[in-house]
Amino acid sequence: MVILIMIIACILGAIVGLNAPMISYTYSSYLAIAIVAALDSVFGGIASVINKRFDMKTFISGFFGNAILAILLTVLGEKLNVDIYLAAIVVFVGRMFSNLGIIRRYYVEKWTNKIAEKNK
Amino acid sequence: MINKKNVSIVLGIMCFALTIGICIQIKTVKKYSSPVSTSYEVNNLRTQVLKYKERYDDIIEETEKIDNELQREIEKATENNSELEYAKNQIIDGNKIIGLSEVKGPGVVIRVEDSKIDLSKLDINKSMDLSNYIVHDMDLLKVVNELKNAGAEAISINEQRIISTTSIICGGNTISINGEKIGSPFVIKAIGSPEALANLERPGGCIANLKERELVAVLKKDNDITIPKYSGVLNFKYLSNVD
Repeated sequence: MVILIMIIACILGAIVGLNAPMISYTYSSYLAIAIVAALDSVFGGIASVINKRFDMKTFISGFFGNAILAILLTVLGEKLNVDIYLAAIVVFVGRMFSNLGIIRRYYVEKWTNKIAEKNK
Repeated sequence: MINKKNVSIVLGIMCFALTIGICIQIKTVKKYSSPVSTSYEVNNLRTQVLKYKERYDDIIEETEKIDNELQREIEKATENNSELEYAKNQIIDGNKIIGLSEVKGPGVVIRVEDSKIDLSKLDINKSMDLSNYIVHDMDLLKVVNELKNAGAEAISINEQRIISTTSIICGGNTISINGEKIGSPFVIKAIGSPEALANLERPGGCIANLKERELVAVLKKDNDITIPKYSGVLNFKYLSNVD
């Protein structure tokens, strides 16, 4: 049910996004970093569901907070002539991988347990 | 268990927002970037150029907006006032002549391009100056001069309006017109009597000269030519009227 709704929302989003107006190139780097931050929150959310620590408020605030913070840091970095967005990318993608690891381990374990039960 | 319906709604909204963002981003990047170079420096430079170009376009757009506003204000001020109406018409006529408004009419379009012959196949010993095979500022000046002589009322080269202060000078491997660098191919538009302007093609004329040098030079008559207005600022500092 949840996954179905997610897929439908993704398709709807793709349709709307493809018909939406293009943003200017200056702002595309901000959008890119926001996307990475949001993706990180999504994976974090899935991992916390698996860990049974999922909290809606944390998730929503993380989703928007991370994205906005990443954009602000990128703007600040541009003003200071430091590529702060690189740090943001390293952190977010690093976390994404660790969360993906948690998700992967969970499903692999579940699968192996199932096979073991079957063999019994 | 947490309320499953709420979870799915929130997740759905987030997926929605995320995919919108990703799609817009992909579209934007696709529009602007040609194949991405592996070099960080090159990519950075490309980004810089794109940003400046965008800012430039924004400024031009803004100027256009302000111009339109000025037009509207003039319209508003001259309403119901015949004296001002006359002044307004004078302004419009003046702008048309000095090149501050877009104009259209019949005329000719001349396309001048660098030579297309393969220079490596030329007999270097025999061949003269290789710079004969590219278009120079002098060539454009000659064409413009002849067009004026043939009665052209408005001329533009690659959308740069030729006005009284326009200079056409060599700027390295480009030609600088009105301070803007332009390169081959050059499209010269002129408004005037098409028959008279087409005389540039006469034997021994300037177009024949260009063709002799193996350059591409094509003249086409056209009944509907639009010539843009001068986009720069007219600044007369030293000039004043004699009373």
